[in-house]
Amino acid sequence: MLLKLNNLSKWVQSGGQKVFLLKDISFWVNEGDFISIMGPSGSGKSTLLNVIGMLDDFNEGEYAFLDERVHNLKEKHRANLYKQYIGFVFQSYHLIDELTVKENLEMPLLYKKHGSSERKALVADMLDRFNIVGKKDLFPAQLSGGQQQLVGIARALIANPKLILADEPTGNLNSKQGEEIMDIFTQLNKEGVTIIQVTHSEKNMTYGSRVINLLDGSIV
Amino acid sequence: MYTLYFKIAIRYLVKNKLYSFINILGLAIGVASFILIMVYVNYERSYDKFEGSENVYRVYMDYLVGDVYTPGDAQSYNEVGPTLKEEFEEVLDYTRFYRLGKTTLKTNNQILEINNGCIADPSYFDIFDQKLAYGDINTALKEPNTIVLTASLSQKIFGKENPLGKTIQVYRDRSTSATVVGVIKDLPQNSHFKINYLLSYTTMHNWDAIGDNMKEPNWNNNVYFTYIEIDDKTNANLLQKKIIDRGLDEVNDERMNIEPIEEIHLYSNKPYEAEANGSITRIKFLTAIAFIILILSWLNYINLSTTKSLERAKEIGIRKVVGAQKKQLVIQSLLESIILNISAIIIAVILAIIILPLYNEFTGKTMSFEVDNIQKLLPILGITLLGMILAGLYPAIVLSNYTPLKALKGKTRTSAQGIHVRKGLIITQFFATIVLLIGTIVVTKQINFMQEQPIGSDLNNVLAINGEVLTNVSDSLIRKDYKVLQEELKKLPSVANASFAVTYPGDGYDNLSSFMGITFPNGTLEEQNVWYNYEVGSDYFDVMGMEFIAGKAFMPNSKGFSHDIVVNEEFVKEIGITNIDEAIHKKVKFWNREWGIVGVIKDYHHFGVKSPVVPILIRYTPTKDVLLVKLNSSITSVSGYNSVLNQLQTTWSSVFPESTFNYTFIDKKFQEQYKEDNKFSDAFKIFTALAIFIAALGLFGLTSYTCIQRKKEIGIRKVNGASIFKILQLLNIDFIKWVGVAFIIAIPISWYAMNSWLENFAVKTSLSWWIFVLAGCMALGVTLLTVSWQSFIAANGNPVDALRDE
Repeated sequence: MLLKLNNLSKWVQSGGQKVFLLKDISFWVNEGDFISIMGPSGSGKSTLLNVIGMLDDFNEGEYAFLDERVHNLKEKHRANLYKQYIGFVFQSYHLIDELTVKENLEMPLLYKKHGSSERKALVADMLDRFNIVGKKDLFPAQLSGGQQQLVGIARALIANPKLILADEPTGNLNSKQGEEIMDIFTQLNKEGVTIIQVTHSEKNMTYGSRVINLLDGSIV
Repeated sequence: MYTLYFKIAIRYLVKNKLYSFINILGLAIGVASFILIMVYVNYERSYDKFEGSENVYRVYMDYLVGDVYTPGDAQSYNEVGPTLKEEFEEVLDYTRFYRLGKTTLKTNNQILEINNGCIADPSYFDIFDQKLAYGDINTALKEPNTIVLTASLSQKIFGKENPLGKTIQVYRDRSTSATVVGVIKDLPQNSHFKINYLLSYTTMHNWDAIGDNMKEPNWNNNVYFTYIEIDDKTNANLLQKKIIDRGLDEVNDERMNIEPIEEIHLYSNKPYEAEANGSITRIKFLTAIAFIILILSWLNYINLSTTKSLERAKEIGIRKVVGAQKKQLVIQSLLESIILNISAIIIAVILAIIILPLYNEFTGKTMSFEVDNIQKLLPILGITLLGMILAGLYPAIVLSNYTPLKALKGKTRTSAQGIHVRKGLIITQFFATIVLLIGTIVVTKQINFMQEQPIGSDLNNVLAINGEVLTNVSDSLIRKDYKVLQEELKKLPSVANASFAVTYPGDGYDNLSSFMGITFPNGTLEEQNVWYNYEVGSDYFDVMGMEFIAGKAFMPNSKGFSHDIVVNEEFVKEIGITNIDEAIHKKVKFWNREWGIVGVIKDYHHFGVKSPVVPILIRYTPTKDVLLVKLNSSITSVSGYNSVLNQLQTTWSSVFPESTFNYTFIDKKFQEQYKEDNKFSDAFKIFTALAIFIAALGLFGLTSYTCIQRKKEIGIRKVNGASIFKILQLLNIDFIKWVGVAFIIAIPISWYAMNSWLENFAVKTSLSWWIFVLAGCMALGVTLLTVSWQSFIAANGNPVDALRDE
């Protein structure tokens, strides 16, 4: 088992009342799963993804990641955990505008103490794997949306994570580009990477093996 | 990793050209101003430093005024040095200078007028750590009629030749000949005592230009500058106390005192200084201005970069998500700020180097960035760099504190604390700006006030002319010639009047005599005050436009002598006569003789309006070697003046064929007393303008920040019907409040500072309320202009754009 949520809740105080963003969420994810989180706007999909990614905290319940009890961990330890095992893919790609494709890919490695030659090898691998060798010296603004998302996925993968969290990865893309991205996810999943995606699209959902439906912060 | 940081920093700076430009420009101006001011401050503080200078002290005389001793005279008696050396074992040696003022040097083929000649003891070389380029230091200046030249004077007279053994005639009314026995290096410009040549002390005995009363050891003439060297191990304060306690039985109501030579330039400022001193108040003000500007540019930097960091939020978010630690982000941000700051420093140093020649011209100093000065500059650059790192730290920490999720979503509305910090920074900027503005206005007002003061005398179109007559005819004949000259000058159509005078307003202390001990008409003997006096011809008062309020000018007797004196109102007051008319025909006694008051003139400023009016006695002289010539007021054009000057010189040469000729417009000379103050005022204006510019840059940054932050609010207000004016009001009101707060803090502080500055002047302008209001309004004006520019754009924007990004 990769991770397990147990009765997890998250709320904010608004006008003296608790407003639940997530309520009593319990589910688990095995290694190699491809899970789609679905639900209407405001149902808590992204919040759940961020909690899983440890970018956001929660108020109640338990969260275990690779047998580490996340809710008991200190901030720094928790950061180390997600840095080591989780890669993020965003709807709006979130590449650094001032860096070239190659440098964007290299960036996560810089924070993980890889030697220079190792970094070069890993970056070259990724460029190869996603067929973007020719684009390596371009800046994000010079790429199409689909290409930018390819770089985003490559960046998420470069540190060899166990889990990829993707928040509407095809939301900003046209259907053809979206298909390509989903094909890549399927391919990755086959190679053993666990994927959790948040999506609106029924079509994208079909790529996954399991669906979690959210409504007003609860699993339905 | 650092290469990547470096790359990002450079790309970011290049991408945001306007931001980088404003930021680097602000910093560079701040740092360049700081460097230039501090170079000047360092220079002013570097006076009279040489090997062993910390053990060299000047002896000066304290005068008893009322019940207290006050510093009375930078000069002392020729017995002071020998007495101190004999009585105090801590005093190792002494050297005395007698300043010759302007002299004429004559060799076989050249006549040169040279200032700053001196008679000096041979111990000079040892005490002042001077080596001889030519000559033997063990014998130099020991023999009478020997002279030591500075290298540049030697070069001027003898070229590259070895001057040893050559003879020079030295003229000061009467001449003496002197053999060159040595050449010293030129004295640095930063010495309070300028020297072009030294005559041996014993030369006096063979030279009738020096009065007999000065040749023998005595306690009567304090016309010598005396410097002593004390033992390295001596506690100078104790020695000073011992010297003060010794008292001075030899002279009534005086005592000896000492001061470190290194402090003379900035702290001394006594009557009869060797040259006009610097001013420690001015130096303190300048240092304050330097730091204010530097701090302003840092505040500006902090504001701008914190503001700009909002745009970096996304990048920070991404970095955090992919694994950057806070420390790494701080380092990256610091590295960027260091790159930006170092480029600013480099530009600042280049700017400073480019401006330096102009700056030297402006300050009249000879400052340079040479290797030995670089060392003194290092602390300055150190301060700059340290401050910059501190300034870079705040934005760095703000940046790295963003939580990744919020940063990614662009929700970087920073904490209330962050807003407070920036508010504080802006108020500090306003505060400094207002203080500087008030300072500028006060300084300008004071300078104008001084220059508009009636000085009690009309210096316009009055020339002082003199020259050295290089013949050996007898004095009585020369005196007659001067008389002839005066008559000839008066005959010139362009000359209104001409008179003899030893000195005149604005000429300073150099040719003014003074004495102590006077018997008032009522018989009281007064022995504490210094009484200044000088000699003039009968026409002097007419030439100078001085007004008699009682009596009239002297009437010399048939032999051309007179023991009448003309005094000023202040004198009459001092001797206890209230009705001015009663002063006429009263007798006062000094120099063992009675003098009758024949006239009282209105008070006039002899030393410029910076000093209070002092009692003055004016004695009669039939002739003198300085003539004051009043030109007709019809002469105004440059060519008119040139032709008059030609006429004067021709007349002069027709009487004295073998002589030199000099002239001075005395109103110009009088104005020169304010030269330093004028420069100070100019400097104040320039640096205030720069400070305001930098502050405006910071304001610009902060406004753009506010506009970004309130973009949505503005959009919503507009959708709901707010007018552009209402929005402008909304955006500007905070800044107006901040100016108000800064204004309230600035008033007492600048009032106090400027009041203490005005203390330096005898005639001072008032700190009127409108000065503060004007400064406040100017600050407000600049603020509104800067802020409105940006907020107008924001207020004018299409609300749809503002509301879309949700």
